[in-house]
Amino acid sequence: MGGLAYKHLQTLIKSFDLVEHTYEVNIELEQILSYLKDSETGQRGYLISKDTRFLESFFSGREKTNNSFARLKELTKKDERQQQKLRDLTVLIDKNLNYFDETFKYSKNDNLDSKEFDALLLAGKKTMDNIRLEINQMINHNNNLLRIRKLDNERSITNTPIIIYSVLIIALLLLLFTYSKINNDIKNLQTKNLQLEIFKESTNQSEIVSKHGTWNWFIEENKFSYSDNLYRLLGEQPQSFEPTIENFMQFVHPEDVDKLKKQVEKMMEKQDLPFIYYRIVQKNGSIRHFKAYGKVLTDNEENRRLIGTTADITDEIENYRLLEERNLELERNNKELSSFNHVASHDLQEPLRKIQTFISRLEDKESENLSERGNLYLERIKTSSTRMRLLIDDLLQFSRTNKSEEILEETNMNIILENAKQELAETILEKNAIITSDTIPTLTVIPFQLQQLFINLIGNSLKYSKKEVAPNIRISYEKVDAKNVKKIKKKKFNFYHKITFEDNGIGFDEEYAEKIFVLFSRLHNKNEYSGTGIGLSICKKIVDNHQGFIFAIGKPNIGSIFEVYLPFN
Amino acid sequence: MKIFIKFDFTAVCNKLIEEKLSELGVKHKVLGFGEIEFLEKITEDQLSQLNNSLKEYGSEVIENQKSILVQKIKDTITDMVFNDDENINVKSSVYLSEKLDHSYGYLSNLFSEVTYTSIENFIILQKIEYTKQLIINTDLKITDIAYKLNYSSVAHLSTQFKNTTGITPSAFQRIITKRRELNNPKKQE
Amino acid sequence: MQHKDVFIILADDDEDDRLFFEDAFEELKIDTKVSTFKDGLELMNYLTQEDSILPNILFLDLNMPKKSGIECLTEIKKINRLKDIAIAIYSTSASEEDIENTFVLGANVYIKKPNDFKKLKKVLSNVVTINWQYHTSGLNKDNFLLRL
Repeated sequence: MGGLAYKHLQTLIKSFDLVEHTYEVNIELEQILSYLKDSETGQRGYLISKDTRFLESFFSGREKTNNSFARLKELTKKDERQQQKLRDLTVLIDKNLNYFDETFKYSKNDNLDSKEFDALLLAGKKTMDNIRLEINQMINHNNNLLRIRKLDNERSITNTPIIIYSVLIIALLLLLFTYSKINNDIKNLQTKNLQLEIFKESTNQSEIVSKHGTWNWFIEENKFSYSDNLYRLLGEQPQSFEPTIENFMQFVHPEDVDKLKKQVEKMMEKQDLPFIYYRIVQKNGSIRHFKAYGKVLTDNEENRRLIGTTADITDEIENYRLLEERNLELERNNKELSSFNHVASHDLQEPLRKIQTFISRLEDKESENLSERGNLYLERIKTSSTRMRLLIDDLLQFSRTNKSEEILEETNMNIILENAKQELAETILEKNAIITSDTIPTLTVIPFQLQQLFINLIGNSLKYSKKEVAPNIRISYEKVDAKNVKKIKKKKFNFYHKITFEDNGIGFDEEYAEKIFVLFSRLHNKNEYSGTGIGLSICKKIVDNHQGFIFAIGKPNIGSIFEVYLPFN
Repeated sequence: MKIFIKFDFTAVCNKLIEEKLSELGVKHKVLGFGEIEFLEKITEDQLSQLNNSLKEYGSEVIENQKSILVQKIKDTITDMVFNDDENINVKSSVYLSEKLDHSYGYLSNLFSEVTYTSIENFIILQKIEYTKQLIINTDLKITDIAYKLNYSSVAHLSTQFKNTTGITPSAFQRIITKRRELNNPKKQE
Repeated sequence: MQHKDVFIILADDDEDDRLFFEDAFEELKIDTKVSTFKDGLELMNYLTQEDSILPNILFLDLNMPKKSGIECLTEIKKINRLKDIAIAIYSTSASEEDIENTFVLGANVYIKKPNDFKKLKKVLSNVVTINWQYHTSGLNKDNFLLRL
């Protein structure tokens, strides 16, 4: 804006200068003419009067003409056309002065009446006219210039206030705009500052709550800064000592110093800090577990700093250790229990089998040698050992279903059912049982366990059948929506395979519906029915292993229904 | 790659006997089922030479008359089960007495005396044996096999299979498949 | 062949079981010769001798000190001279998976030791008879699987 105004003023000044210059040239031209006239007058005076005083004015006129000429030359040096004219003028003036000199020669010799002198005077007069013409032309030219320049000048003068005024207005507008912008920025800055303040405070709080602290390493200056909470984590007052590596190291657990130092050296070298774990010892002697991580941040001015976070993970580690311990203990207990169960039932089998075999040998070979009472005792021993075998077999079966490392396989359930029926073929034939079944789709299950489940459930129906009625077992299948099954409390899956086993046996009282799945629980005297109270517990366990559910519904003297729900994947 | 071959045991055995007898250079006639008639006199040495050369194939010359007849019974049953689809519906007792020209009572007693098992058991054993072959070497379903072997139902065959072998047909198939995988691990392709 | 003795070997660490086994064959009408070994190692030492007489059928207990039945089974199947011996597992009990596994490894017979002497006799005679059938009646030995 100022530049524009200045430039305009400069133009104005220049145009004033030009006008002035033109005036000067004009004056100088007029003067040359007047000096020449002076010289001419002097010449003429001398020629007439022979008075040498006229010669004085002649010479001084000549002298002044020369001076004036030199000034003119200087003034017009930028105007090519005027210079040309000036050179023409010079030639004419020289010529004229020559004529003057010639006339003086004639006058000295008193030869004034000669023809030559007359011709000389005439020629001088002619030159003088030419000079006048020339100078008038120059003056005219100059006047033209002057007119143009004056016009320019006037225009410039008229424009000047408008330009200056507009410049002022524009400047004012700019000022207003800038002001509002600055005002806005300040407002923004204030909001940002507030936010920053809030953020800082919340960071401080979160550091305290989540037990972590932050630190910065200004790489260029090799300086550190610690957040308040980092001091607290070390058990110190915030900013109570200078944040340096050396000071920090004093808190590090002696066993971890080397490890941490290496990491820090690496950090200095690579300007990066991966997760590291170490312990520190607070002044009160308590040991804390720390975990640190850092990342390099480069700002606008290419200043790099490593921003680090250090967290106190002592509680986490404690909890983890505790959990691990408990898990191990649990695992140990489970293993012990499982192996005890297995060993007990498996190893008990061997002596029992031998007892039974020896009993059979006694029966075959020595029966005759025993008294009636002896034979009765032998019979009792036999019954007891048979019952023991049954218990051991079932217990072994139960411990085998314990295995959780079994792999789930896509299994054709109709084959599983067929196998189960074959397993029970003898009893089925003996009791004339009728078993009907829907087609069951292929399920992802542990095949051996599902076969066991089928055997146990069908076996159960066969065992607890009415004495005079042939068992009729109906196995049905449907896919059910978990939402529609109120019995399922914790619904892990949306859909379930529902396999129902329904029989026409002796049934049971509804109040035992849950109890019958409990290990060793029996509803009947063992003299009536030979159950061990393990079979249905095995069923429950198998279904549990598959994250399914089993329910029993009983109606005394009408029959039992067992519903198996297996997750639909 | 692996392939499975269905053997015609009778044909293989006849070919083998034919070869061994040609080596002896004695005129003969193969009557089938391992029965050979010599058309000229044969020396003791030649007979023991034949016996020795057959031994490396797990076969031997039977001299005892009873044993010969038992072997004939077995071969007839095997042939009936494996090769004679037409006559499978004929009662085996009738079939045997017709083919071997002895009363069934005589054959049955002789068979039990020599083998400690009954002809009926042997027939079941052969039928189950054939079932095994069909399970392993064909795509036939157990239903098809039951029909082919003239069982009244799948259950009947399955039960007989289970009673004879102690395992179910599906377990049998599973075991043999796993065994083959174990012995010929599949190459990664 | 029926005139010669059937040669049977049993490897079992249990003295009573070896006694029952021998008694059972003694009472059976089959002509048999029974040898017994106290553990798997003793058995393998015998079998791997170049001039050992190989049994018609070998009965293996699973739980044996020094070398288990499964170890013996696996080793036997790797030795060309021995791999065709019919093998009967003779064990107190096992799960369905264990039974299938021994079959897969090459056992032909799986016997759960009966708790009755009459049953034992029946089972053993059954095994010997069927095994003999497999050897004399042109049955495919690869398909010989029997569970008792």
